Amino acid sequence: MAEAVVSSSYAPAAERRTVRRVTWVMLAALVVVPWIEPDKFVLHVLSLIAIASIVAMGLQLLLGGSGQLSIGQAAFYGIGAYTSALLTTQLGVPFPLALIAAGVVAAIASLLMVPITRLTGAYLAVATLGFSILVYLLIKNEEWLTGGSYGFIGIPRPVLFGYVLRDAMYAYYLCVGVAALVYLVFARIDGTRFGRAINAIRQDADAATASGLPVTLLKSQCFVIAAFVAGLAGSLYAHEVRYLAPNDFTFWKSIEILIMVVIGGVGSLPGAILGAAVVVGLPEILREIGDYRMLVFGGILMATMLFGEGGLAALFAALGRYGCSLWKRLALRSPTSARDAGR
Amino acid sequence: MSAADLFEAQSATRLFGGVRAVDGVDLSVRRGSVHGLIGPNGAGKTTLLNLIAGVFPLSAGALHFAGNDITRDSTAERARSGIRRTFQNLKLFLEMTALDNVAIGLHADTRCGFLAAVLRTPRQQREEADIVERAMQALLFVGLGGFAHVRASTLAYGHRRLLEIARAIVAAPQLLLLDEPAAGLNATESAHVTELIGRLRDRGATIILVEHHMDVVMSVCDEITVLNHGRRLAHGTPAAIQDDPAVIEAYLGRSVEDDRARD
Repeated sequence: MAEAVVSSSYAPAAERRTVRRVTWVMLAALVVVPWIEPDKFVLHVLSLIAIASIVAMGLQLLLGGSGQLSIGQAAFYGIGAYTSALLTTQLGVPFPLALIAAGVVAAIASLLMVPITRLTGAYLAVATLGFSILVYLLIKNEEWLTGGSYGFIGIPRPVLFGYVLRDAMYAYYLCVGVAALVYLVFARIDGTRFGRAINAIRQDADAATASGLPVTLLKSQCFVIAAFVAGLAGSLYAHEVRYLAPNDFTFWKSIEILIMVVIGGVGSLPGAILGAAVVVGLPEILREIGDYRMLVFGGILMATMLFGEGGLAALFAALGRYGCSLWKRLALRSPTSARDAGR
Repeated sequence: MSAADLFEAQSATRLFGGVRAVDGVDLSVRRGSVHGLIGPNGAGKTTLLNLIAGVFPLSAGALHFAGNDITRDSTAERARSGIRRTFQNLKLFLEMTALDNVAIGLHADTRCGFLAAVLRTPRQQREEADIVERAMQALLFVGLGGFAHVRASTLAYGHRRLLEIARAIVAAPQLLLLDEPAAGLNATESAHVTELIGRLRDRGATIILVEHHMDVVMSVCDEITVLNHGRRLAHGTPAAIQDDPAVIEAYLGRSVEDDRARD
């Protein structure tokens, strides 16, 4: 595990400032995207990437932060999706409330994980995988509640402040907005008591315990927070696609979420978003080559891992630093700086 | 348990399978003293320290700390009630800065959680400033003031030993367990650790010290308990221990008489 979620607190102030600037530039870029590229399908895929990145950031906190390997995040994602779908269609709950409720119900479901937080590594992974399979079977078999294999149809579009978000652009702003909020919230725990504590339990549980840290409580809190955001993402997904099928929430989805975090770079919050973009976006780009796309996708996964443990985040950071040094060298040679030097 | 004692172990026993790693050891540690725990390799010193820290439960016997029975308390509970330790084989949070490593020691003393961190409430900011201030003081106390923002993984070995101590003392624990704090250090560094232990005692800490460096043990300890094969072999002041024939035999494997005969 290369960088911690709170890694930037160890970075020099200048580097932290750069990170903050890049963040705001990226956010601004996301705001103007729909004006440059108003294509509905592109915006839909970008919305799906935003949704996936929310779940991935939750797992990043869990894995990159507290060091807990979960292959069960699709369960919370599914619980959120069906909760929101049921609340809006059956009970007429307004969308914003259903969104929050989806997160809360998923978070409550994650309390079932508390007894297994004392497991570590492969044992924890398999236990969470079991939970993912369990929730999938519930969704598939409880037809009276979820529609079973027929799927859940007729989910309304999101309604915000009385406006139906009919346009792909507004749905895009909703998904990206929630993703940005989750990002900014998670970035805040950087260099705080909570952030330090979860990093400590990942790095050395014995030393953490000997310092009086409540390890089980901290691990459970991470599960609850990760499940809450997965539930939010599930709700956004339900109202974006407006049709839910059990197959959207198999254990394969859990593995996809893990892939996002790992190829993005375990421990890097922006990495989780990059990973989500690759896992969701790449198959769309490769759509033309049909059945071969998963082959190419698998190859790209392996190639990314060859770059090292830092994943795409480390790769981009290295490219960024290289670019900066190149830029500085070129800038030094430019006539203006030569004149400045001559003064 | 007399009023002057901060800690007491009553016939503490720990079995590993058939091995009696610690076998009915009595130990009472006076408040404000440095109590040495010595013995040959495999004597059960670290096991006894682990029992006091709560790493594993006693097979038999009882532990009392500051008037309370802590025999059944977990490691974290004991840490919160004021027993902190260092580890013989260094257990630092290597990806974190020295300052953040020490800050972890203050976790139990502070309150702000996830929501406060996200909202950056005034209380959270005050608390964070307080944590940094106290952690910095602990670093200065052990002599690592200049390394606050250095990653623990890049610190030299001797500095890592000091960082362990800083993390253990930052919350001003009543009882400090030091597990071979001078192991692997050169003469200058181990002299610094000796001086550090003295300053900690002056500050009012009670210390149980497991150490192989005899110069450190003899110069800084008020009382010494000698273990051999899991049992208490001797107990007394450094001077008394140095002259105890049983201790000399346990350490050198021959009696004083043999020694004299050779001379």
